[in-house]
Amino acid sequence: MNNQTNVKLRLSNSELWGGLIGLALGGFVIWSGMKLKLGTINDPGSGYVLFYTGILMCVFAGAIIVSALTDGAPTLASRWENVRWSKPLLLIACLVAFSVALEPLGFLLSSIPLMLLLLRLIDPVRWTMAIPIAVLAPTGMWWVLKRLLLIQLPSGLFGIG
Amino acid sequence: MDTLVNVAHGFGVALLPINLLYCFIGVFIGTLVGVLPGIGPISAMSLLLPVTLSGTPESGIIMMAGIYYGSMYGGSTTSILVNIPGEAASVVTCIDGHQMAKQGRAGPALGISAFGSFIAGTFALIALMLVAPRLASVAIAFGPAEYFSLMVLGLVVLTFLTQGSMPKALLMACIGVVLGLIGLDSITAQPRLTFGRMELIDGIGLVPVVMGLFGVAEVLLNTEQAIKRDIINTRITHLLPTKEDWKASAGPVGRGTILGFFLGILPGGGAVVASFASYALEKRLSKTPERFGHGAIEGVAGPESANNAAAGGAFIPLMTLGIPPNVVMALLLGAFVIHGLQPGPLLITQNPGLFWGIVASMYIGNVMLLVLNLPMIGMWVQLLKLPYNILFPLIILFTILGVYCSSNNVFDVYVMIAFGIIGYFMRKLGYEPAPLVLAFVLGPMMENNLRKSLILSQGDLWTFVQRPISAVCLTFALVLLIAPLLPSLRKKRELVALDEGA
Amino acid sequence: MPRFGLKTIAFATMHAVMGALFSTAASAQDYPSKPITLIVPWPAGGSTDISMRAIADSASKVLGQPIVIDNKAGGGGTVGPATMAAAAKPDGYTISQIPITVFRLPLMQEVSWDPAKDFTYIIHLTGYTFGVTTSAESQFKTWKDVVEFAKANPGKVTYATPGAGTSLHIGMEQIAGMSGIKLTQVPFKGGAETNAAVLGQHTMLQADSTGWRPLVDAGKLRLLMVWTGARSPNYPDVPTLKELGYPMVYDSPFGIAGPKGLDPKIVAKLHDAFKKAVEDPAVVATLAKYDMVPNYKNTEDYKKFVVEVTESERKVIETLGLAKK
Repeated sequence: MNNQTNVKLRLSNSELWGGLIGLALGGFVIWSGMKLKLGTINDPGSGYVLFYTGILMCVFAGAIIVSALTDGAPTLASRWENVRWSKPLLLIACLVAFSVALEPLGFLLSSIPLMLLLLRLIDPVRWTMAIPIAVLAPTGMWWVLKRLLLIQLPSGLFGIG
Repeated sequence: MDTLVNVAHGFGVALLPINLLYCFIGVFIGTLVGVLPGIGPISAMSLLLPVTLSGTPESGIIMMAGIYYGSMYGGSTTSILVNIPGEAASVVTCIDGHQMAKQGRAGPALGISAFGSFIAGTFALIALMLVAPRLASVAIAFGPAEYFSLMVLGLVVLTFLTQGSMPKALLMACIGVVLGLIGLDSITAQPRLTFGRMELIDGIGLVPVVMGLFGVAEVLLNTEQAIKRDIINTRITHLLPTKEDWKASAGPVGRGTILGFFLGILPGGGAVVASFASYALEKRLSKTPERFGHGAIEGVAGPESANNAAAGGAFIPLMTLGIPPNVVMALLLGAFVIHGLQPGPLLITQNPGLFWGIVASMYIGNVMLLVLNLPMIGMWVQLLKLPYNILFPLIILFTILGVYCSSNNVFDVYVMIAFGIIGYFMRKLGYEPAPLVLAFVLGPMMENNLRKSLILSQGDLWTFVQRPISAVCLTFALVLLIAPLLPSLRKKRELVALDEGA
Repeated sequence: MPRFGLKTIAFATMHAVMGALFSTAASAQDYPSKPITLIVPWPAGGSTDISMRAIADSASKVLGQPIVIDNKAGGGGTVGPATMAAAAKPDGYTISQIPITVFRLPLMQEVSWDPAKDFTYIIHLTGYTFGVTTSAESQFKTWKDVVEFAKANPGKVTYATPGAGTSLHIGMEQIAGMSGIKLTQVPFKGGAETNAAVLGQHTMLQADSTGWRPLVDAGKLRLLMVWTGARSPNYPDVPTLKELGYPMVYDSPFGIAGPKGLDPKIVAKLHDAFKKAVEDPAVVATLAKYDMVPNYKNTEDYKKFVVEVTESERKVIETLGLAKK
């Protein structure tokens, strides 16, 4: 990471955000641990280890925050400088859409469009290549799993697959 | 010379054509399921358990064992090629193995892991033949306090897995522990951190977490570069390890084998701890620790040998005490019982033909695996020549299938996608996934054993220091933690390294 | 129960609608058309696991589909059934072994399931032989030695059980109460773990079902008592609880159930297959290895039995002061 974008006490300090998220998680874990009962040292309860792990999380997150404030850190934006940030974002959107569609549509109906989208989005593959791959790869795997390994993939509301 | 007679007798059994055939089928299926991420030996073995009933007990068990150690061979392939660990024990192989592949050295990486596995597997078998009954006591010497300290030692190892900041790695480890504790508490059956979600009662699966953090996140991260075609265009020079590779790997293979064998004897977590510990050991011993994480062949050779030796060591508690150290061994135990045999202290004396036959067949199986795997290296390397814009969608498809098949559960696919996205942002902010995975595996065991040992000692924390094995583990952990903090020591070591280099 | 809120209702409606569109009976008629998962809520390798594997193997031949054993251990054998009750679809492809803790634990603490409502009981199969063992190197030669030592050192005697609230835990506490001694329970996850714990002398005693048998036969463990009504034919020298002056018999019977709302046709198919399995001589032989005797009850009798057991358990738990507050 290049140094010219280093900032200290600014909201765009990327390390600060990482530390704050860690601190929040740690606080939540401590709270959950206490809710689950700590028990005694003779007979530690369900929340015993969670509670102390939560404290450790806060300590480490605190260390990250301190070093973010004293040493400075690259800005959030600089982490995505000079990269095609839109690509992973599109991919994430595709994956989320896929997970929404998987159960109602079933494996075949959701994974073929996903493959087609991925093949065209990352760096467009020719349609003449993309379509056969998008259709054949999921169908082939589905067949192998269903026929040879007896594993049933989700078939969805329409019962295809 | 009793052993020799027994071994000869064992080979007599193992070399029967029908047993050779079963052995081959076993290792072949094992290699296949090992290569496919997600579909592990457990699902393959439970599906094939009924099939083994038709033959003799020897044939059935030889085949089941073949699937097990065969999958150990295959497990490293996807770690090296596409950065997706097939199982927890090969997570650590990803770190340097995939870097080697990126540098066009996938061949040597795959080669050294095949040879390392072979050497380690063979050693473990010889050890199994010679000392199995005597080592049985090692498995039971570990009680809750000892396990707790071993897990602490295992977690300390994570400080060697990081290239970046230590607080970040430790924070990741804590998150790993917490994630591992999600689900019903195994002591009181109380639901923990399940947010009222039914799917979480069972806890989060290791496979979706690993596949998300490594496989999916890797793809996301790679797509943001207008690809430098680094994997694809680099000329692949050697298919097999060179003389220098061998020289660098000899030590790691030897040490990994011994470490793996002994840790493999311990019920629970042995193979995982062994592979991580071997990596840490090699990094510590190395004269150039900075190469680790950037494609050091030692970082592949050591852990791969360790996890295969552990697979051999795992047979000891099963065969000698009837205590299966992991789920796979338990399936094998099931196979024994269905055939009317009861593994335990009396098995070797009552059924010498079976015991020695199985051991001998594993030796033959190891040779088969080497012969089977070496020609495949060329084929695997060709796979990397696939253009990335076709390779990446296929990787995503395979991770989805692998995760689904490992549990038959759509929820796990969601978990994987979520961890893929989290993993992407984690890496962007410089947080590494390996410590999280290690802590995810070891954390729950550590928690459970801590609570049990406190119940046993009635709250006395000295129990961890008073018990010798536990004290040794904790001392090692302390040394490992403190050593990097002592700059004078480090400097001295660097000077020594320079002298030797000169 | 709040967890089975809107989403469940929505799903149920959707299922009903889809069922009306595509013939309803098809699923029950074709059943089983894929491998069935049988949850065994104990670690692999214990006596329950091994006997269930033998039973499942025989039943799968009748059903014509493999039965895959899924070991979901923990919580004294309740984690598995609880997971099934919460998450599995009632399609007959996920069933679970139901240990007695499923009925007992809800009496002791807050749990996520209701044994009367959340399961479709299928068939009752068999019960265990329980026993208390100690390492062969231990100072305890008979149960009397244990009682004397415990009287002198209250709380110092530790025993490994396959989980809190298991019959072993309850039984040991009852025994301790009757002899006026205090014992410390250490909950493990099942037979394979308790074997290792007592062998390595991490705990002084082990209270578990017959997973200890090969080790007792090999002289590595010493069997101090069995909890059956009569002495075990395999160990004629070992006294029963009654002979030691504790008027109790513990056998912790178990059966199989699916999630609630299982189609009766599927229940009948599973019942028939598992009935054939417990009658299979090979299965009987495997069970005998662990001193288990088939204890068949059909679906109706099993349901009645659940009610009876819950009642008798409630009494014991209340006497011991373990009931939930």
